Amino acid sequence: MKYFVKSLIKTIPVLFLITLIVFILVRVTGDPVSLMISETATDEEREALRESLGYNDPLYTQYFDYMGNLIKGDFGNSHRYETDALNLVIERLPATIELAIASMIIAIIVSVPLGIMSAIKRNSFFDLFITGGAVLGKAMPNFWLGIMMILFLAVNLEMFPVSGRGSLLHLVLPAIALGTGIAAEMTRLIRSSMLEILEQDFIRTARSKGLREAIVVNIHAFRNALIPVITITALQTSTLIGGTLITETVFAWPGIGQLLIQAVNLRDMAVVQAAVFIIAIAVILSNLIADSVYRLLDPRIKYD
Amino acid sequence: MKKVFWSTLLIFVLLIAGCSNSSGGENVEGNGGDPEEDADSKKLVIASGNDIVSFDIHDHNNTSTEAVHVNMFNYLVRNDPEEGFVSDLAESWENVDENTWTFTLKEGVTFHNGEELTAEDVKFTLERVAKDDTLLEYGSYQQIDEVEVLSDYEFNIYTHESEPALLNRLSRIGSGMLPKDYIESEGWDAFLKDPAGTGPYKLKEWKKDDRLILEPFDDYFGEEPKWEEVVFRSIPEDSTRVSEVLTGGVDVAVNIPPTDIERIEDKEGVSVVNSPSQRVMLLALRTQGDYPTADPKVREAIDLAIDKEAIVDSLLEGNGTPTRTRVTPGNVGANEELYDTQVYDPEKAKELLAEAGYEDGLNITLSAPNGRYLKDKESVELIQAMLQEVGITADVEMLEWSSFSTRYAEKEFEDVFFIAYGNSMFDASLALQRLTKEQAAGETDYDNPETEQLIQDAMSNMDPDERVEQYQKAQEIIAEDRPQIYLYQINSIYGVNDRLDFTPKLSEMLYVDEITLK
Repeated sequence: MKYFVKSLIKTIPVLFLITLIVFILVRVTGDPVSLMISETATDEEREALRESLGYNDPLYTQYFDYMGNLIKGDFGNSHRYETDALNLVIERLPATIELAIASMIIAIIVSVPLGIMSAIKRNSFFDLFITGGAVLGKAMPNFWLGIMMILFLAVNLEMFPVSGRGSLLHLVLPAIALGTGIAAEMTRLIRSSMLEILEQDFIRTARSKGLREAIVVNIHAFRNALIPVITITALQTSTLIGGTLITETVFAWPGIGQLLIQAVNLRDMAVVQAAVFIIAIAVILSNLIADSVYRLLDPRIKYD
Repeated sequence: MKKVFWSTLLIFVLLIAGCSNSSGGENVEGNGGDPEEDADSKKLVIASGNDIVSFDIHDHNNTSTEAVHVNMFNYLVRNDPEEGFVSDLAESWENVDENTWTFTLKEGVTFHNGEELTAEDVKFTLERVAKDDTLLEYGSYQQIDEVEVLSDYEFNIYTHESEPALLNRLSRIGSGMLPKDYIESEGWDAFLKDPAGTGPYKLKEWKKDDRLILEPFDDYFGEEPKWEEVVFRSIPEDSTRVSEVLTGGVDVAVNIPPTDIERIEDKEGVSVVNSPSQRVMLLALRTQGDYPTADPKVREAIDLAIDKEAIVDSLLEGNGTPTRTRVTPGNVGANEELYDTQVYDPEKAKELLAEAGYEDGLNITLSAPNGRYLKDKESVELIQAMLQEVGITADVEMLEWSSFSTRYAEKEFEDVFFIAYGNSMFDASLALQRLTKEQAAGETDYDNPETEQLIQDAMSNMDPDERVEQYQKAQEIIAEDRPQIYLYQINSIYGVNDRLDFTPKLSEMLYVDEITLK
């Protein structure tokens, strides 16, 4: 726990740096006023709007204003929605978390048995098929997989709704699109982790004691192989978030990813800043949790 | 360990179930049925590429947002391409003198919150947008000086100068009427959350970037609303929007890419409907200084080198119309002789270039946005190839929209840039004012005293016929001077379920009560 709190404090400078980088990036890459106003607007209209939004102040003044408000928990207002940016992001969190958890479940359900089986049946046809499939799964861009699934499963076979969020059925396709890459990564990891453990002395000992193979594999080997899997599961959180950006757009899923993409397109700076901040916190937290769980499972691991 | 695994899984499943419930858990349409199913359903679902921006009708300039708003807010008058200005909230109106217009409101019009519409509401609404220069629609309303309340149902609108296009201004974005008392007592934020207009439909629910649901307003002053529920869905990905209309998930999908037309036509129960829009693609050229395009012969050569018809046919699958003016039919002051026509003569273009001293070829810079307009990148590449044919090497600079618009606003483009302009005013004034000397400075630098005079005169001319003539004449001169080379007008393409009768409007507005069951 002490370690957890200590690490949490250590992330503050990281978050600070993130706010600075995002702040500068959204400002140097385009002018929000020219995106908000119509093509036919005159220079005077543009100038009035720029002045009212405070974009005429020097960059450092804008940054200090922003940081001052941020410390008070105020991320500023979205100029698109004219409402609090942080609230907008938080409103979207449930949709993204729902999608992320569903994809993770799919990834775990697929990868755990396949990874174990292909390790046991090493070099068999089955193993070749699974490892081949994993490479394919990893290589497939999730937006492409999403569009293909829409075409076949939703349009041709009419098994699922095309897009949107509502019932559990709506969740299936985006979760598969997003979960496939993660499942592929995890299958390969579980396989190699299992292979390594199956070679070890204590497994040989267990076998020589006459334990049933199922017990050797499921209890002794899998338990130890699980440790790296937990790390990778947490690390995949960042992959997941990157994936939701595109998957949410393809499936018109109203989560943070879609919000962020549209905010970037419209240079809705307050929303971009708030969303990246929340995402950064999510990634940092999941890494911290992974570290802590890791320590719990394997007491040999020590952190300074 | 196994136990741990299964209990973790169980927790995940419970969590996920919890999440779905928090979203309302309602089962929405799009269950993958045939488009013909539910043919009599009184629920209409329309999919756009983006969600509405806000309920602040004065602080956006987004056509697709207005397309939704028109069902919730009424204008004083409506601009009908065939009938001209027709009554909406205003019973009658009269242009008293150059700067004064008198209006009489319909009686018994109520807002969604029960408040009655009076002249005070009109004053509140119009003066807000006419006086606050930070609102995005300020530019189109600043011409209004004051609204004077004469009685509950009568008011005068005074303009700073004579304003022949006032009715055009009052029948477009930002002209919806707002409830004064509600906003003043509850505050603007409350209004944005729970807006109240006078329209046939009121807000039921808005899930941002997902769906906006409208329900009929029982006390609507006009004809009874036809739909029990209207859903506007936001589906940014084109292919997903097409798939939704194919499966019957949505009744109408806007902005269908031309490449998907065949897919929709091939499916039973859905079809494609298209209509001209207000958007005209054009090239803007520098007409002064050291730029090669400062030579009128070079500008003419560029115009003659581009086969607009071919671009429309090959890239837009015919969904566009070549034009030599930006003021297309349906707009006040349109010069129809310059519409649906092109001047294409590559041989003459070569001659002109030789005359201008570029017999060995000419290099120009062409800047264009990428991904902003239908087939923009492809169109520019085709134009580049056509220019090459006559000996003009165009150095094409494709820019992502936000950097394009920044450079556009800063007026930093060199010889030529590619852009599309719409016209929400439905009047030549908006289309041509960009070519007045003052506004053209730094962009096209266009400066022709004759055109300038015509445009300035027309801008304040209260004689409608003479005004139209002035604008038409100005367009003729512009078509020869070529500060802007007009390419083609783009069509709006819709995917529509066959259960509906749907005629798109030039304005791209989606008046849902004009969409009917067959």
